[in-house]
Amino acid sequence: MIELMQLRKEYDNLVAVDDLTLTVPMGEIFGLIGPNGAGKTTTIRMAAGLLAPTMGRAIVAGVDVAKEPERAQQHIGYLADFFALYEDLKVWEYLDYFAHAYNLPEGEIAGRINEVIAQVNLEVKRDQLIHGLSRGMKQRLGIARAIIHHPKVMLLDEPASGLDPKARLELRNLLRALRDQGATILISSHILTELEGFCTSIGIMERGRLVRSGSIEQVTAAATTTRLVRLSWAGDSPGLAQEKLKSDARISEINLGSGSGTFRFSGSEEDLAPVLAGLVAINVQVTSFGEVKQTVEEVYMKLSTHEVM
Amino acid sequence: MPRIWSNPEFIRHRRAELRPTRAITVGAVVLLLCVLIGLACWSSQQHQLSNLQQAAEQYGTDAWKHRLDVLQDNFVRQTSLLFFRWLVGLQAVTLTFWTLFSCAQSVSGERDRKTWDFQRITRLTSAEILIGKLLGEPVLVYFAVLCAAPVTLISGLAAGLSLGTVLSIFVFLVSISMFLGLGGMWLSTLLESRTRAVGLIAALALYGFTLGFFNFRDSGLPGLAAMSPLTGILDALGETGPKISPVLFNHPVSWLLMTLLLCGSFGAWLWLMLVRNLKRDYPEIRPLSRWEAVGCAAFLNFLIYALLSPIHNVGFEGRVGWFDDGKSVALFAVAMNGLFLFLMGLTTLTPQERLKVWRRTADKSALFADDGLPWPWLGMSAVVAYALMVWGLLAWNHTLPLEATTLQASAIRLLLVLVFVTRDVLFLQWCMLTRLRQPVVKGVLFLALYYMAAAVITGLAAVTSEHAARFVLALLTPVQVFDPEIRGLAFPGMTYAGLLLQIGVIGVVLMAINSRLLRPMRSGAAA
Repeated sequence: MIELMQLRKEYDNLVAVDDLTLTVPMGEIFGLIGPNGAGKTTTIRMAAGLLAPTMGRAIVAGVDVAKEPERAQQHIGYLADFFALYEDLKVWEYLDYFAHAYNLPEGEIAGRINEVIAQVNLEVKRDQLIHGLSRGMKQRLGIARAIIHHPKVMLLDEPASGLDPKARLELRNLLRALRDQGATILISSHILTELEGFCTSIGIMERGRLVRSGSIEQVTAAATTTRLVRLSWAGDSPGLAQEKLKSDARISEINLGSGSGTFRFSGSEEDLAPVLAGLVAINVQVTSFGEVKQTVEEVYMKLSTHEVM
Repeated sequence: MPRIWSNPEFIRHRRAELRPTRAITVGAVVLLLCVLIGLACWSSQQHQLSNLQQAAEQYGTDAWKHRLDVLQDNFVRQTSLLFFRWLVGLQAVTLTFWTLFSCAQSVSGERDRKTWDFQRITRLTSAEILIGKLLGEPVLVYFAVLCAAPVTLISGLAAGLSLGTVLSIFVFLVSISMFLGLGGMWLSTLLESRTRAVGLIAALALYGFTLGFFNFRDSGLPGLAAMSPLTGILDALGETGPKISPVLFNHPVSWLLMTLLLCGSFGAWLWLMLVRNLKRDYPEIRPLSRWEAVGCAAFLNFLIYALLSPIHNVGFEGRVGWFDDGKSVALFAVAMNGLFLFLMGLTTLTPQERLKVWRRTADKSALFADDGLPWPWLGMSAVVAYALMVWGLLAWNHTLPLEATTLQASAIRLLLVLVFVTRDVLFLQWCMLTRLRQPVVKGVLFLALYYMAAAVITGLAAVTSEHAARFVLALLTPVQVFDPEIRGLAFPGMTYAGLLLQIGVIGVVLMAINSRLLRPMRSGAAA
């Protein structure tokens, strides 16, 4: 579990993170979204105990990061956005170093190294120098390092950068597997569609503040004042449907073409059913009718342009 | 006790630096060098022997024959001694130089490669990382010295040196290189990745600085020469020229003991600073806490009186020393405290962010808070320094007579120095609140510029009259307080005028700091 309480970070006269309060329950994958300079990396670094907050507290796996950094860090798997590896070590030596640095029991280390090497598909590179690995392989080795000590909490800053599509898919599967094993994951990314696919909840950061957070449904719903509804029918003429929809005061922006179209509806999801029933009643041969859900990307764009606050 | 040999950081370096092929190559090269040096020494001695043989045949006198006999009888011993000296000299240079430079790149190098955060986030404590790096960064040179050690040991014993002497040289080499390694590591933590070149220059300066301590042998504090890598080696090899011993509370001690004491105590301070800061983020680094800084100032003051050697024999000049009486010691102590207090101020400057938080949350009782302004602690250090001065001067009264007014005059001198140092340290604190890059370095350069300007103005005033020059000097610098002509408490009025002026300047700097701390904040940048 990750608890950030009124976390604040100042640089000179700039507030990089402003009174950020956030709770990520155990077993959740929380996606942190925001433009460059929004404070995502600063937040993750403060949660990891790498950066002292100006004010506020970060509690990871029940341990106060500022008070007991080494105990807290034993539970944290961290991956930075830009990082390097010890190029003069072999793949297994690199993982062995971190396994010892995280104080894993001596008898378990060899087995654990083989296990994580298999998880990131680097078996054939086990005895090679890191110097000779490709960028994607190095990224995968970085992920292996972050999970070598069975962390309860993963703090991942842009973990998918540098990975090819196949490796991204594998990363998503790996994170899902870690979540299933009980790990709590805080992940930041610019690739919004990727987060949408597997995050259980998201937070949108803007100018150091968390402007929205919750499950994806909650965030998109909260950012929506009207529902966009897509309608299609048999036949070409939109006349009947147009007339019927215009008569409803809750409906606006009617845009019907030949056989299909959209409109905006300001009522609840339940209120849509009578609208459909009304269309059917006047003999509009409806073939499909449903709300067009907003993507996280659309919500994010609305928030970042202050269309919705 | 950290487990040194199973330290993951040490193992990482050992694995990376000492792969079998490289280790074998290094071992072979070291042994080859030993053979070549041995041959060169043998050849040199052989050449000397043949010259003596020629001279003995040519002149045929008993003196030449005696010299030839002595050399022939001691040929192996003399050759071994020459070989041993070369080996020790080369190992001393390589070990100290390599240790310092590799450690000086350790942390800054990790920051540069962006691997540092991953070490910081592990369970490894600062002490474990420190030990791992201290032993691991120069592991190649340690291995090389280890390869040469048996040859060195055998040559030393063959040269007639006792096992204790040979081992003491190794102890000296290890302790001085560890001390330099700690110094290098400290430099490395102070440098951001982009200033690695500055780090190397600083390491070079540190090496030169420690070598320069050799000259303290002839000073009033001869023990400080033990900080130089040269002193112990030359002493052990019997090449110090006139025999000078360091003293501890006026009792002669060996150079090795003095080296161990000084490297141990200064190394302990470096250790403390490193352990305190190693896992901190760069802007959060603050070498010492306020209490530790007061302790450090007290330790440095204590050293003055512990290492003091008031009189020693120098050549034909007989009994000559730096200090004639208690007043000269007091003047020296005040001058040194100017440096100590400034260094203390430097090590306790509060990071901008911490100072802002302190300003927002502080009440009047928080004047001595660890995140507050450094000036109250400078005052406390000066009080401690004065108390030690009183103790030291009274303790040395039997050898260095103390005048009745010396203690009172020293109090005023120390107060004047404290005021100037406080002004300078607060100026550096103000620089830290500005947007200057490397604010402390630039602040120190500004201060140097100020003192140069003061010297120029004094020079211009001297054209008018000597009194005008003294007046300017007293207003702008603390130099006036070191005038030995001033008797007792009879400081000229201009000295007090300078004191009042500087207190006014301190007030202005404090207001400037306050206004910086109260500037409004703006929220983070948008995309």
